[in-house]
Amino acid sequence: MKLNRTRKIAGYTVIILSSLIMVMPFLTTVFNSLKSYAQYTKVPPQWIPDPVQWNNYAEVWKLGPFGQYTTNSVIVTVLSVVGALFSCSMVAYAFARLKFPLKNTLFLVVLGTMMIPPVVLIIPQFVIFKSLHMLDTLTPLWIIEWLAQPFGIFLMRQAFLAIPKDYEESAKLDGCNPIQIYWRIFLPMCKPTFATLAVFTFMTKWNEILSPAIFLTSKENFTLPIGILSMAGQWSGNEQYMVAAALMSLIPILLVFLFAEKYFVQGSNSAGIK
Amino acid sequence: MVTPYLIHFVVFVLGSLLASLYFSFSDYDILNPPKWKGLDNYTKLFHEPVFWKALWNTLYFTILFVPLQTVLALILAVALNQKLRALKLFRLAHFLPVISSWTVIMYVSDAIFNPRFGFANSFLIKIGLDPQKWLQDEHLVIPLLVIIAVWKGIGYIMVIFLAGLQNVPSDVYEAAEIDGAGTFRKFLNITVPLISGTTFLVLILSTISTFQAFEQIYVMTGGAMDASSAGGPHKASLVLMIYLYQEGFSFLRMGYASAIAWVLFVILFVLTVVQMLLQKKWVHYE
Repeated sequence: MKLNRTRKIAGYTVIILSSLIMVMPFLTTVFNSLKSYAQYTKVPPQWIPDPVQWNNYAEVWKLGPFGQYTTNSVIVTVLSVVGALFSCSMVAYAFARLKFPLKNTLFLVVLGTMMIPPVVLIIPQFVIFKSLHMLDTLTPLWIIEWLAQPFGIFLMRQAFLAIPKDYEESAKLDGCNPIQIYWRIFLPMCKPTFATLAVFTFMTKWNEILSPAIFLTSKENFTLPIGILSMAGQWSGNEQYMVAAALMSLIPILLVFLFAEKYFVQGSNSAGIK
Repeated sequence: MVTPYLIHFVVFVLGSLLASLYFSFSDYDILNPPKWKGLDNYTKLFHEPVFWKALWNTLYFTILFVPLQTVLALILAVALNQKLRALKLFRLAHFLPVISSWTVIMYVSDAIFNPRFGFANSFLIKIGLDPQKWLQDEHLVIPLLVIIAVWKGIGYIMVIFLAGLQNVPSDVYEAAEIDGAGTFRKFLNITVPLISGTTFLVLILSTISTFQAFEQIYVMTGGAMDASSAGGPHKASLVLMIYLYQEGFSFLRMGYASAIAWVLFVILFVLTVVQMLLQKKWVHYE
């Protein structure tokens, strides 16, 4: 009993300490975003903003193309999530239930492609999108998600395989076709897996930097993470706006996390399996 | 129904792999068709001091980052693997950096490590030490980037370890307690070997992703404002991916950049095979 107690105290100490290390820099950043420029650049720095400039957040929307970047990010993220759910579940359904030639070989190929480092594929992708005249548009950023990424296929297939075959057989007797079976049985039974894939695609796309940095050149096409950085010149002398802009870009993903925390955790675990 | 994946595989994987291999043996600036040059790019690459510097920086980053993150995440997971109150709140705290983009993290770390008005320097001055230039210091830049990367990613790895720990049967611990084993002994002799499978996966995955690290360094060394400043100061944080990006997308030397990609691929492949072979020596299977 006593041992358990020391263990708990030790556990709390470690966790509280490390939570503080995680949260304090964020709190400091929130405070920075509410300072005047004079206080933001003050040496030595002051922690608490005084006066509190709430309108830094309003200025962000007024002074730059922040709204445009937000719209771009929303378009890319939403189209990616829809595309990933649609294409991965479709391909996974085929792997889990349909019979077609070379099925097992092809599934090994799916697993194999997860091992290929993206770095060797970037330049050819750039060339492909250039020849399709899609450079400097948002299309390359989301269209790739409509082509079933291997991680999503893998995740979905595992979930589909766990559904007992009796369900579809009785559905078939009732006259359901494969699309109805998919829509009425597989989809509702695998909601958590759909949620996990959605949440992970959301996070990846919302925060992505490499692809936008490669595929986009005009500022008005930028997504939030690189768009905010590109506003630096425009806001010199008011860098606290950039801090406010960055923190605002965190809000959607924070909301998704708060509502779907358990899917984040499940996704992390399947990433471990991957 | 598998058509989306077939397109994906044929065009974006198989086709791209072959194209990339072909580019790496050619002179290619995107505007004109690639010209076959044989091993030229590779010979140039191996005689280029910047390449060796980038390779060394990548190794240095990985060697610091992977063990540090793995060990700390495991310690956190062990501390968290018991019935604690406010568990959700702790998990949220550790996931906050995980869900943030590198742009957000840049401003968060700037609040602390800004050379002029950051809190780290104000603290150093208060205790009588010299202020530092942090990310603008050639010697500090990689260690500091590593610390920030560990801070950002640790929550994610911690959750993977937690899942592993929950599979360790509790009767093993009870037996050890009867034999009089202390907390530290139990950790070393039971926890570590029993979750070595998870540890192995974490090591492989983080080595692969760290070797291709790009976003953090690109953002935190100012690459978004000026691509040539990425990997600074004085190329002190120039890793292979940043080198590839600059050669390929700033200077349009796509052939040369593809050669960098293939060297990176081969190194990763060898590292993964070595890790797979070594796993037999230390990973415990039931």
